[in-house]
Amino acid sequence: MADTVPFMDVPLTTAIELDAVTKCFGEVRAVDSLNLAIGRGETVALLGPNGAGKSTTIGMMLGLLAPDRGTVKVFNRSPAQVVAAGMVGAMLQDGGLPGGVKVSELIAFARSVYPRSMPTRGVLAIAGLEELAGQRVDKLSGGQRQRVRFALALAGNPDLLVLDEPTVGMDVESRRAFWAGMRAYAADGHTLLFATHYLEEADAQADRVVVITRGHVVASGSGAEIKRSARGQVVSFDLDGTSLFGLEGLPGVVEVEVHGQRVRLRTNDADATVAALIRERGMVRNLQLGGPSLEDAFVALTENDEAKESA
Amino acid sequence: MLPYLRLELMRLLRDRRFLAFTTVMPIAYYLLFTSIGSSAGSAAWSVYFMVGMAGFGALAGAVSAGGGLATDRSIGWLRQLRITPLPSSQVVAAKVSANMVAILPALVLVCVAAAGVHGVRLAAWQWVALVGLLWAGALPFALLGLAIGYLASPLSTGPLMGFGMFGLSLLGGMWFPVTTFPGVMQTISHVAPTYHYANLSWNVAFGQAPAVSDAAVLVAWAALFAIIAMLGYRRTSRAW
Repeated sequence: MADTVPFMDVPLTTAIELDAVTKCFGEVRAVDSLNLAIGRGETVALLGPNGAGKSTTIGMMLGLLAPDRGTVKVFNRSPAQVVAAGMVGAMLQDGGLPGGVKVSELIAFARSVYPRSMPTRGVLAIAGLEELAGQRVDKLSGGQRQRVRFALALAGNPDLLVLDEPTVGMDVESRRAFWAGMRAYAADGHTLLFATHYLEEADAQADRVVVITRGHVVASGSGAEIKRSARGQVVSFDLDGTSLFGLEGLPGVVEVEVHGQRVRLRTNDADATVAALIRERGMVRNLQLGGPSLEDAFVALTENDEAKESA
Repeated sequence: MLPYLRLELMRLLRDRRFLAFTTVMPIAYYLLFTSIGSSAGSAAWSVYFMVGMAGFGALAGAVSAGGGLATDRSIGWLRQLRITPLPSSQVVAAKVSANMVAILPALVLVCVAAAGVHGVRLAAWQWVALVGLLWAGALPFALLGLAIGYLASPLSTGPLMGFGMFGLSLLGGMWFPVTTFPGVMQTISHVAPTYHYANLSWNVAFGQAPAVSDAAVLVAWAALFAIIAMLGYRRTSRAW
């Protein structure tokens, strides 16, 4: 688990610190003894399947939810204090926008409640809203509204930006523009934490990926480190009309994936798998051996955790 | 708080539903019911119903502050506000203030219609006192709206608001004089906050001083609504 996974050096100044945090909703343990430290200036992705506890964790970081046990500190203070001081900006999954106002009016309002807000032009540029400033919020498309919510999170020029599934509902174009804006913001030394279930997004945008499943951290490190931590390998070959029968029973195989005529076997013991494969089938076409993708690592990590839990 | 008050005012002034209930409807009903029926052309009725309809618009606009808050909660806007430095209490205060400011023009317009169309003439002090009382007296209904907005489920908020607006205004004699009601209803009317609210201004409009007893009953209702709204606020503010 966490101790077998390489941890990046935790920087001297921490932006967010969660210490053995637990949060239950009735019988459901949404967050379970979660430990997490994020340094100032880091860009961190919180990666996990739906229901892993990402939104609950974020809710506690922002003071929207109180933990049942454990402590949450942001810039060494309570979440409520840093929110009141205007040091945090956030984009929530279920944060709505009021009707009847123009984009520019909403941003002007947001700027006015923060002590050190960003110039309006800067907000519009980073959020890609220059052309929509005069539009009524209720007339915008889903992706455009998402950018407005991003602008609201940015307007106060916060030291820490927390984004919960920020690119859900965005088209490819918006997504690209969004991450370009995000990188510009992070480059200024701001701390950025975003939750996502898109692996490529976590891999491409974050300095560090924290994998969460069933309410706790199962891995933390760069995309490459996480891939390595999954250990296993992938054996792939062309099916060429032969049957899939028996592949799952081969030694070492953890998972069988089929893409058209191509089969990918995720295995813990590539040598044994390949030997058995040749023995049983005589010949296989286009045999390839490779390292796991981030997705393989992710699946392995979450499965291991589930196995440990039920053992 | 001021920037949020500004934002809320902009929302209200662009809200057709709000303008329909607070301005268009009271003026239209005023002109209609003072021009048809057996009391058409009666000077006393023109004055009486002016207070009734101006009061109805103010009441409707004040009560709807709570509905607006319930809507903001359901769409997640209040959650969004909670992660800004703006405290929740100021959000609520701004919301109520915005509705209170927005009902003032509507109130004045009903009086202008009465003076313009039916030639209602009052002394300057009467106009000032009447508008002032109808305006300030609407505050308890904003508290009632908040109480409903906090405690009712999203589905029942609408019907309850409707009852608040129409039921209470009817009971208060704002549509028909209380003296025309059957006995039991008259007794109930004399307890209703709306009756005492409107009666303050009826006294002024007919040249009398507003009664202290009316003010006292209205203040008592305001205190009750405030307590319920406060309990609701405490209960829901955590769930934002």
